[in-house]
Amino acid sequence: MTDVWIAGAGMTRFGKRNETLPDLIAEAAFAALADARIDEPETIVVGAMNPEEFTGDGNFGSLINTHLGFSRAPALRVETATSSGLAAFYAGFAAVASGLARTVLVVGGEKMSHLATPRVSEIIGRSIDPHERRYGTTMPALAGLITRAAMHRHGLTLREISQVAVKNHANAARNPYAHFQEPVTLEAVMESRIVADPLRLYHCCPISDGAAAVVLTAERRAVRVAGIGQGTDSIAIRYRSDLTSFRATQVAAQAAYRMAGFGPERVEVAELHDAFSPFEIISLEDTGLMAAGKAGRATLEGETALGGRLPVSPSGGLKARGHPLAATGIGQVVELCWQLRGEAGARQVQHARVGLAQSIGGLATNNWILLLEAAR
Amino acid sequence: MIESTIPASICPRCERLIVPPAARCPDHGTRMEAATVPNTGEVVSFTTLHSAPEGFRSPLHIALVELEGGARLFCHGQETKGVKIGSHVAVENVDSVYYFSHMGFADRARMFWRRAGARGEKVASISKSLVQGLFKGRSSGQS
Repeated sequence: MTDVWIAGAGMTRFGKRNETLPDLIAEAAFAALADARIDEPETIVVGAMNPEEFTGDGNFGSLINTHLGFSRAPALRVETATSSGLAAFYAGFAAVASGLARTVLVVGGEKMSHLATPRVSEIIGRSIDPHERRYGTTMPALAGLITRAAMHRHGLTLREISQVAVKNHANAARNPYAHFQEPVTLEAVMESRIVADPLRLYHCCPISDGAAAVVLTAERRAVRVAGIGQGTDSIAIRYRSDLTSFRATQVAAQAAYRMAGFGPERVEVAELHDAFSPFEIISLEDTGLMAAGKAGRATLEGETALGGRLPVSPSGGLKARGHPLAATGIGQVVELCWQLRGEAGARQVQHARVGLAQSIGGLATNNWILLLEAAR
Repeated sequence: MIESTIPASICPRCERLIVPPAARCPDHGTRMEAATVPNTGEVVSFTTLHSAPEGFRSPLHIALVELEGGARLFCHGQETKGVKIGSHVAVENVDSVYYFSHMGFADRARMFWRRAGARGEKVASISKSLVQGLFKGRSSGQS
């Protein structure tokens, strides 16, 4: 297997954007190509969760390669619900690692803030099992059930969960690409309105637009893909025996560590999928970055803050950098690239050499773990 | 209403039960066989959704219930007041939607007696004499 390197990274600011989705994707793609000093990609992989419903666009791979002005570059559209970005990355990685391509542009984006919130919730909710959807189970509803079970079983507290949002908002205030630029207090999070008991508004990620892109190459560059893994679980929550940890993350992490030849002990910075704040705590434990039952306390004690033992989501995470679905996973890769190259500005994690990205698809039905390592 | 059964399916390989019945086991790809499960179980977790999706009224009470035998299913409820993780509930199908209702002590006792009765008069009479004995014992102790 050929080593795969990240030649360039770029992204749009996440948030409420007026541009069209193809324009957002173009902004990210040309930023990544410029960073890579590559004029034209050999092939293109586009991650997009639901452009058909959000913007009415179909045949998305061809729409994007033509919009970018690379209609001769073979384009492929990849989808695994909310983790579509890292799924697209995987397709690009596989093309370079296998020798099928030398340079691949991987880009992901989503635009949805122009629609009313209930409509967006309903479209995202289509990634839930059809039978369970008949009971009105939206993503926040399922996350509420999981949060209550985790609080009951592991003694996770509302304060610990809320600290994830406080920490991620503080990080986003140092990130010009983030949806939210203001810090929030623990009291504001804990007193925000209840969405799906016990989850409150400030425990949930916002509806964001945006795009992110990377260029992968077989040529040696500053950041190497050390490992990537996929893990799955049944789409039906009622088929699972455990609500409080995600098998899809655990399996993906094992596969990624196996490929990398090292374990969680070498990870110095992580970008985790906090679509709902308790998911960051669950994910810290599922990835082995923290021991089971310890991540809530560690978060409250500042271990995951910038300057802590293991900074988590210096970008601001899904909660505060924003969550434009298929852009999110690639946005995590962009952030880790900047971190490993020492270009993360006010939110730089000092001397980080190994980074981990985690992306959750659906309600943890199709998850990805990616390990990146700075070249020596 | 308290005790009845719910249609399910069982995997001939791993014996897992699924509600509502599915064609294939989600883990083994094997064809599932028809089965039934009791309509009583325990609450695994629950939530009250304050911004219900289109077609539902807010607040929406949703519970995930594990039925006896291990099959889990989602249910609606009239309320979640007094409901806890581990609460005993009965599940009822109304117009193809399952609803949970909290089983109080009286409901559970009634269910116990009904089951005892179903297993034959012998069990019922033993239980009856046990209770009578207990009552006699207590009254004699008090006097």
